[in-house]
Amino acid sequence: MKQDFNLQRVIHFIRRDVTLLKGTWTTGFLVVIVALFLFSMLNMVWDKELASEEFLGIFGLCYIPLGLAFTFSVFREFGHSNTDQLYLALPVSIPERLVSKWFSTTVLYTIAFSLVAIVVGVFAVTVGIILFGVDFSFSAIFSEKYWTIVGTYFIIQPIFMVGAITFSKNKIGKTILSIGILFLGFFLFNLVLFVLFNQGLGVFSNDGLGSVAFDRASSDFSLIGRWFYGILFGPLLLVVAYFKMVEKEV
Amino acid sequence: MLQVKNLDFNYPNRGFVLRSVDLELKPGNIYGLFGKNGEGKSTLIKIMAGLLFPKSGICNLNHTQTKKRSPKTLQEIFLVPENFELPALPISTFEKINSSFYPNFSNEQFYGLLEEFQLHPSNKISTLSFGQKKKVLIAFGIATNTKILLMDEPTNGLDIPSKSQFRKVMASAVDKGQCIVVSTHQVRDLHSLINHVIILDNSKVIFDHPLEIISKNLWFGRATQDMGEVIYSEGPFGGRSILTRKNLDETEVDLELLFNGVLQETQNINQAIKK
Repeated sequence: MKQDFNLQRVIHFIRRDVTLLKGTWTTGFLVVIVALFLFSMLNMVWDKELASEEFLGIFGLCYIPLGLAFTFSVFREFGHSNTDQLYLALPVSIPERLVSKWFSTTVLYTIAFSLVAIVVGVFAVTVGIILFGVDFSFSAIFSEKYWTIVGTYFIIQPIFMVGAITFSKNKIGKTILSIGILFLGFFLFNLVLFVLFNQGLGVFSNDGLGSVAFDRASSDFSLIGRWFYGILFGPLLLVVAYFKMVEKEV
Repeated sequence: MLQVKNLDFNYPNRGFVLRSVDLELKPGNIYGLFGKNGEGKSTLIKIMAGLLFPKSGICNLNHTQTKKRSPKTLQEIFLVPENFELPALPISTFEKINSSFYPNFSNEQFYGLLEEFQLHPSNKISTLSFGQKKKVLIAFGIATNTKILLMDEPTNGLDIPSKSQFRKVMASAVDKGQCIVVSTHQVRDLHSLINHVIILDNSKVIFDHPLEIISKNLWFGRATQDMGEVIYSEGPFGGRSILTRKNLDETEVDLELLFNGVLQETQNINQAIKK
């Protein structure tokens, strides 16, 4: 086991990914810098301020999609028939591969994106002060909303990681479709449970309770549900990703 | 070193590609793995590299299953696949990001081989032809100094001068303790390079002998009537033939003739060698 996990190899593997995907990631970050700046400027045109809540809204819109795109990009070699042989033959164990991919697309990416966002935000506010006389109110980026956005990304990212490993073509589309089907499945499951446990109330016998059932099925998570989605779901999917990688043949 | 025992393999919803394959590959040998198209050469190479998993039987490198893909095992195997894509990086960057995974990698050897192949470290891989890319990978593979070097159709995509260059590089650069497996259907390309012949046909290993034993027991050339019993001949009168050697002078093994002969007269040729 000791030989199957070597931190030095993980660092080499992350460095390898960064070198290979330098071009893709630079382009991605440039697009995001422009988008963050433009959205911030547009926001300041209306109310002459850029509140941290507003900025974090823009942050979330860019941070999550770009992170998911990066997740797919780090598995490009893994799923392509012309690159998978050399990739899988590299002396790196599955736990090392998984840790390096996860770490670079979550922790490293979040740090890099947050730094870029702060710089762009400060620059946008400075330009806003000069052009529109905006009040300087850009503060507390690491608020509760920031951590909610980061937390959401950390929970949904492993789903896309499994999608990137599982599908060889149209990965993004197939992953989103699978999530849609999965969500529908959970929704129907919750609905059936709600109906079963509230049969005595005459659910569906009149319009009011029927709509309550639908509302509850889509929004009400029990304590177990919250624990499952918030803490267990991500690691569970990382375990799925691990076994998908173990089973991978060329 | 590399042991294949009672190995079966089939792709999903298809018949067996490999059946009851037994092989024992030893260090210091260059094995030529021959077979017609679609006979399972590439499949066997991929199983040896741990990229495909046997349906039954084992493929072990030093008593560890290659399908486990443990770093310790993969550090001792390098595969030059038939089809591959290299990243759009300068050759030197490609070396830097990949060589750190191989503990016995020799920079000196890699850059020496590049020079021999008339490639410069600053060349961007995306601007190279497929043959040149193959040379980069062959040079990298040799420089890893792994115990096992697997090459799947390495001469495909190489022009005629490059093929002889390849033979020259392989003969001079390869360490004596290495075990090299070269799979090809172009038998002539490995002339004077290999010292052991393995032939696959109908999903099975039908021939597995060192060149030394082959030349000791078989005679290759244009036979005359008084020379003895012909095992295999490519033409009725004076064509290239394989004979049991007996008292005849030793001849160089004609790999193409041997390959054709084994496919036609498997049992007779194997018997002549075992005698």
